[in-house]
Amino acid sequence: MTTLLSVAPREETATATLTRGDDHAQTARARRASGHRRARRSRVAYLYVAPAFLVFAIFLGVPIAQTVQYSFYDWNGLGAATWAGIDNYLRVFQDPQLRDSFGHAVVLMFFYAALPVAIGLFLTALISRSHQMRSMSFYRTVLFLPQVIASVVVATIWVAIYSQNGLVNEVLRAVGLADLARVWLGDYDTALFAIGLVGTWLNIGLCLVLFLSGVGNIPPELFEAVRLDGAGRVREFTAITLPALRGQIAVALTLTVVSALKTFDLVYITTRGGPGNSTTVPAFEAYNRAFNTGQVGLASAVAVVLTIVIVLLTIAISRIEPKDVE
Amino acid sequence: MKLSLREKIVNQVILAMFAVFAIVPLLGVLLSSVTPSDENTGGFAIPSRIALENYGEAWTRGNFGVYVVSSLIVTVSVVILTVVLSVFAGFAFARMNFIGSSVLFYVLLLGLTLPAEAFIIPLYFNMRSTGLTDSYWALILPQTAQSLAFATFWMRNQFRSFPGDILEAARLDGARDIRVLWQIVVPPTIAPIMTMAVLITMWTWNEFLIPLVMIVSNNLRTAPLGLAFFQGQHVTDYSLLAAAGVMVALPIAVLYFALQKRFISGMVGGISQR
Amino acid sequence: MTSTRTVFVRGAAVAALGAVFALTACAPGGSGPATSASLGPVSKDVAAAGDVTLTVWDQNTDGGIADAQTQLNEAFMKQYPNVKIERTAQSFADLKTTLKLALSSNTPPDVVQANQGYPDMGAFVEAGMLRPMGDYADLYDWNSYYPEGLLKQNSFSSDGKQWQGDTLYGVSQTGELVGVYYSKKLLAQLGLAVPATLADLESDMEKAKAAGILPLAFGNLEKSPGIHLFGVTQAAAAGSTAVNDLVAGTSGAWTDAPTVEAAQDVADWASKGYLTAGANGISRDDALTSFSSGGALFDINGTWQQQTLATAMGDDVGFVALDSTEGTPATTGGQGLAWAITSKSAHPDVAAAYIDFITNAKAAQVLLDTGNLPTVLPADYAPKDGTLAADIATQYRAVQGANGLVPYLDYSTPTFYDTLTAAVQDLVAGKATPEQFTETLQADYSTFQSSK
Repeated sequence: MTTLLSVAPREETATATLTRGDDHAQTARARRASGHRRARRSRVAYLYVAPAFLVFAIFLGVPIAQTVQYSFYDWNGLGAATWAGIDNYLRVFQDPQLRDSFGHAVVLMFFYAALPVAIGLFLTALISRSHQMRSMSFYRTVLFLPQVIASVVVATIWVAIYSQNGLVNEVLRAVGLADLARVWLGDYDTALFAIGLVGTWLNIGLCLVLFLSGVGNIPPELFEAVRLDGAGRVREFTAITLPALRGQIAVALTLTVVSALKTFDLVYITTRGGPGNSTTVPAFEAYNRAFNTGQVGLASAVAVVLTIVIVLLTIAISRIEPKDVE
Repeated sequence: MKLSLREKIVNQVILAMFAVFAIVPLLGVLLSSVTPSDENTGGFAIPSRIALENYGEAWTRGNFGVYVVSSLIVTVSVVILTVVLSVFAGFAFARMNFIGSSVLFYVLLLGLTLPAEAFIIPLYFNMRSTGLTDSYWALILPQTAQSLAFATFWMRNQFRSFPGDILEAARLDGARDIRVLWQIVVPPTIAPIMTMAVLITMWTWNEFLIPLVMIVSNNLRTAPLGLAFFQGQHVTDYSLLAAAGVMVALPIAVLYFALQKRFISGMVGGISQR
Repeated sequence: MTSTRTVFVRGAAVAALGAVFALTACAPGGSGPATSASLGPVSKDVAAAGDVTLTVWDQNTDGGIADAQTQLNEAFMKQYPNVKIERTAQSFADLKTTLKLALSSNTPPDVVQANQGYPDMGAFVEAGMLRPMGDYADLYDWNSYYPEGLLKQNSFSSDGKQWQGDTLYGVSQTGELVGVYYSKKLLAQLGLAVPATLADLESDMEKAKAAGILPLAFGNLEKSPGIHLFGVTQAAAAGSTAVNDLVAGTSGAWTDAPTVEAAQDVADWASKGYLTAGANGISRDDALTSFSSGGALFDINGTWQQQTLATAMGDDVGFVALDSTEGTPATTGGQGLAWAITSKSAHPDVAAAYIDFITNAKAAQVLLDTGNLPTVLPADYAPKDGTLAADIATQYRAVQGANGLVPYLDYSTPTFYDTLTAAVQDLVAGKATPEQFTETLQADYSTFQSSK
């Protein structure tokens, strides 16, 4: 669940934005107050930062740069590498299997992100002042639970649910729709959606909790004012709630979109990209080609393209964030 | 203003529906794990008897004792390492002025949304040539690096909101920075540090890709990795798989129930505190 | 004010800078295959090696062979108390994905089961990860024990570029044949004879379908059964020589008429409902169970299922290898994965002794006793008539005698396992026509051939 890595930072950046102003004022003051002490502090600071930065650079930073480097070579991981120029990148866009993998990621984005956010917002509109309910903390705990379960376990659970005699088919047979029963993860038409639904299950709770807590921050007077104006629930929602939740929506979208694009564990355990190649995703292609079929350069190119897509989307979503923070 | 009865009912119904949606699969796996093997067809069913021996069998057949120990070693190490390193770095970014602080910080930030695939390929080959693959270090160090991005950010924010006058007072008293940090700043900040530790515990315990690539020896496998291979060998033995799955997820789930507020507030971030 | 956007732009710029620096550095990867150190003198003396821990990776997890392996390991440790065997057993699919990483780590296992062909053994040999076994072959006299054809399958040129080259890299423990298991009871019920050719098989299936019995149990969730289904069909349609040449890369194309015909057959069977419905979602174990519990007439599977099926069905189950258009039996098969020694192993002598111990004539008897097919059948081996063991022994000898063994199709190119298994899933699900199917195979194949 490293997807959640972005939660705090997304909005922390906004608070950071605020406090930066303070900081400058503070340091300016301090600078005036203690001239030479500033210089001493700054040298020690490097010692403070060095260990963390070193670990980060060696095990994350440099490898990222190397991934870009690898992407320009043809290498099977064992012998010598040969220069490939931009061939690998061309292949990412031309090879149908690789193109499809990105297409599948888009489908997953709908199920992992769009759907949970939409449903979350809809429910938020229906639920009134949940923060005043005493049982809210219980619901929060339960709704959030899927997020803490290891993805391998989640995958194992849903493989059983989607199996021939699993929960889904049991329900269908019970309501007389036995014809629809099938092995959902083994069917070309349904496998990808089945995986998508797992994402929806994972993320609905997160979105709901996020939005409900955000609603709790809206001053009730705003609602009073709008109601006095004679606005109905819908207007109340679009005029007050929705704009107030912009920050939370941005966080939710970022988290869920990135989690859709990063999907690997689920695909690996449930389908390994099958049946055929109908559920392959970029993360899986990168792993499989790097470590199984000996196409390290191509795998790196896929990883680079995936990363760029994630970064671009994150930037795009951050524009929803309110620029001014209270 | 209190909620009207109608509002309360609507709320409860909606929330209950989705709570059920969230919990049914998890309930299912619990039930499945205590269903006798020959009865289990993969569906949601109340077992005829509680077959606790499934856990024993999954534990021995699946070698999970070894895997859980592995996971423990790696997780504890990553948390300790990350906390220590990020407290130092976060403090420096928050309270010290030095050239390059913004640049370094932005670079760290980059580590937040990046997928593991962006660095794991060369990381594997680097570790291979230095002989570190198939060791706990191959798991601890990269995962520490991953956690540091979030952790440093988090600690910087915590230390930023720390009252500056207390710091100044301590400094004027002649205390060196390191004392200031660990004896004055950290103790009151223990709660957010705990929150961060709890989140990192969860992410590290649940990590799958890095062990999949780095670990070769059976007795170094972490719990999720062990489960994946166990699943490959017992594809249709739903009882055994369910028992194994519960064992792998249980530690974090228990931690979660004990410290729910921390988990949720940590993940939801300081949004509500704004 | 620094917006998030600026943060990322700046961070990205720094990263890009780093990337530029990295690019100017040298290329990734090693300097080519490791020069093999000159192999020292070899010895059969295991006791002299002192206390040794031998790490072994295998995929002997199916019924009968799992028993055999445990027994053989115990016997070996009893005979040589100074050796401890540390065994990691995984499913075939898992071994396939983890072995490459294991071999290229700095502490690889001593003994591994390596799949023949370009994807696995070829890649390992090219990277210098396997120890040539020619000297041990001489020491343990493997050259006269195993038929030459089988030894060739376990050989590569020393640069790993040509399969069936002149250097031996492993020996196999089991012989394998993929053929048609049939339920004698259901055959009798339908009034049919044991099918001898592809045409027989098809007409039998048609009659079964008409009588409401599932003709062919087929579970392709793990993807590998697709190789067997198509392989058997293709061997019968095209003949063993043609397919052998195709896989070895000497002549032919996947788009040749007989292969397309075989693909058409499989597609037809799927569309006519002869195969288990939703096969791509059914695990191979589930399909096998549906066959062994009397739910299907046929199951195309390998001789590694002998023990499982004999236990479940007793004498009700039979086994047959179909005749090709050439009139003699031709089917996928050969031998199980090769047991090989890694080049980094510190105990090659002990490893070789272990390999010989689990594959020689004495071991063959243990294998037979646990319901497996050893690579070399003792000449006097004659199981009771009418049993599954008898069928398998007869067919194995017949196919070997007629030179009708066709290698597993995934040996063809380094990426063929992935390509073929996905393509068969597409074919069976009707997502690809036989023409598209064979073209997909040919594309992968010709890319590899031209790169050799």
